[in-house]
Amino acid sequence: MELSLPLFRRAIQSLDCDGLSVQGLVTSLNADTPWELALPAQGIFGLTGPSGGGKSTLLAALAGLRGCAGKIGFGGVAWQSGRRGLATHRRDLSLAFQDSSLFGGQTVADNLALAHRYSRRPLAPEERAELIECFGITPLLRQPVELLSGGEAQRVAVLRQLFSNAAVQLYDEPLAAVDRLQVIRKLLPRLRAFWARHPALVIWTSHDFDEIQLLATQCLWMERGALNGPLPVRAVARRLQLDSLDRESCFSRIEARVLSQEEGLLTLSLGDATLYADRVAGRYKVGQSIAFLLGSGDIGLCLEQPGLSSILNCLAVELREIVPLAGGRVRLRLAVGEQEFSADISRLSRERLQLREGERYFAQFKASSLAGL
Amino acid sequence: MNIGAADLEALWLTLRLAAVTTLLLLVIGVPLAWKLSHWQSRWRHGVEVLITLPLVLPPTVLGFYLLLLFSPNHASGQWLAGVWGEPLVFSFTGLVIASVIYSLPFMVQPLLASFSQNGKRLTRAAAALGMPPHAALLKVLLPASRPAIVSACALTFAHTLGEFGVVLMIGGAIPGETQVVSIALYQHVEALEYGAAHRLALVLLVVTTALLLLARWLGRAVSEAQREERFMGVPG
Repeated sequence: MELSLPLFRRAIQSLDCDGLSVQGLVTSLNADTPWELALPAQGIFGLTGPSGGGKSTLLAALAGLRGCAGKIGFGGVAWQSGRRGLATHRRDLSLAFQDSSLFGGQTVADNLALAHRYSRRPLAPEERAELIECFGITPLLRQPVELLSGGEAQRVAVLRQLFSNAAVQLYDEPLAAVDRLQVIRKLLPRLRAFWARHPALVIWTSHDFDEIQLLATQCLWMERGALNGPLPVRAVARRLQLDSLDRESCFSRIEARVLSQEEGLLTLSLGDATLYADRVAGRYKVGQSIAFLLGSGDIGLCLEQPGLSSILNCLAVELREIVPLAGGRVRLRLAVGEQEFSADISRLSRERLQLREGERYFAQFKASSLAGL
Repeated sequence: MNIGAADLEALWLTLRLAAVTTLLLLVIGVPLAWKLSHWQSRWRHGVEVLITLPLVLPPTVLGFYLLLLFSPNHASGQWLAGVWGEPLVFSFTGLVIASVIYSLPFMVQPLLASFSQNGKRLTRAAAALGMPPHAALLKVLLPASRPAIVSACALTFAHTLGEFGVVLMIGGAIPGETQVVSIALYQHVEALEYGAAHRLALVLLVVTTALLLLARWLGRAVSEAQREERFMGVPG
């Protein structure tokens, strides 16, 4: 019998690959467009796209929780081969569902203990205690899970998954019911720090693109059953910000380098400019490159370099585009070097300042408005 | 209240029968309901009907067939007696077997309903945290099904307490061996001993009511009132 060489090579390649490889994966949702995906063994990837695009289906298929055919492999282990799949609990993964799926009839502490007990990489007691505190779960530990609000249940579900600490961590809109500012200011920076310490392959599904651009640099896009990517987050952000013009405000992702940090005040360098961030939760190293979010409603624009002010941050920017918004406002697309961000101002301000595309201005924002640090 | 020694013996026998039956059914019922809730076969409906049958079948019909099965005059009864060491008909063991079959739906139905409702979601979540199936059953599904388990046990126990037709057919009324309370009560009425009948009936009524109340209390899920208390600060 003759061995088909290309097929053989492909099989070898999929075994060689350290990360996650998906080849020709078909479910009832995407019979005509098989999914292909290759991701490294470590890294955080966003997953977004319109509702009904197939995001949850993809995650369930990766976890082996729904019928599919094709090839899935991770770290040299075949998870799915044709119609035969490895049982979910034998795959080194965890999946958080949209509905939290906490274990009923037990307390929050019981739920966390079970995840810890069946973890392949159990966390040390001090780290568990610290995570519980940081997620604001401490007062809830003795509560039966039936008594939690939607947002509390989601925080517990994410924490449960961190305790499990699997090599592949899949999150299906895990923080949709949690207060948005709490997510961006507190939970996501903590999650980023966790994954920096315990590297894993994370796929983070969200409709809230701010979550994705704060966590990830690359993003998968699913629409009508088709899987695209990984794409650079910046490219997807541009498109989504144009789509969400009706929204009150939006966040932009900005990367900068740490110059120093003392007593909660962080000094950053962005091109030639120096930025300040206060009330910083995380601990960073000098020289480290970090990302934060800037809300479009938090930025003011000046024609000339302003004098001393309590507003610490001032950037020389180029105005690239002016987009009218509803409600008497306009959205400005500003650029510092390669990086772009959005600022919303009133139409009246725009007329008074006689803003024009292509001109240079000064953008001001407070040290407290750098989110996600 | 003055209850005769024979009636006390009947009461004790009945409680023993109900306890043994409930325990056996718990051991049989949990895996059976778990299996049924997963089983995707066309035979599933057949098996479910078979399990439900004792619910609608007149107890005397069930008792009649069991009598034939256990009878030493038939090959089946001889074989069973050979295996067990004594004839099953008119024996406590025979009563236990009959009660297990008779009360099976009262154990399996509540469990099956609970497993079917929560089972899939919870076992998937457990598997997605690396828990093998048996751990998912024991550590996730059973705790989540506690109200259903308690109410299934209470129903089974209470139902076995009141068993009459099946016992009449295969047990007879041997004091201390097969004479349960319902039979003793019937015999008192037959003999026009209304005083003794009243006392037994009252005991049965009180015990059953207390049992159902206890089951409600043990099986209470987290109530709306508790939720309200937590979120609004209103004592429930």
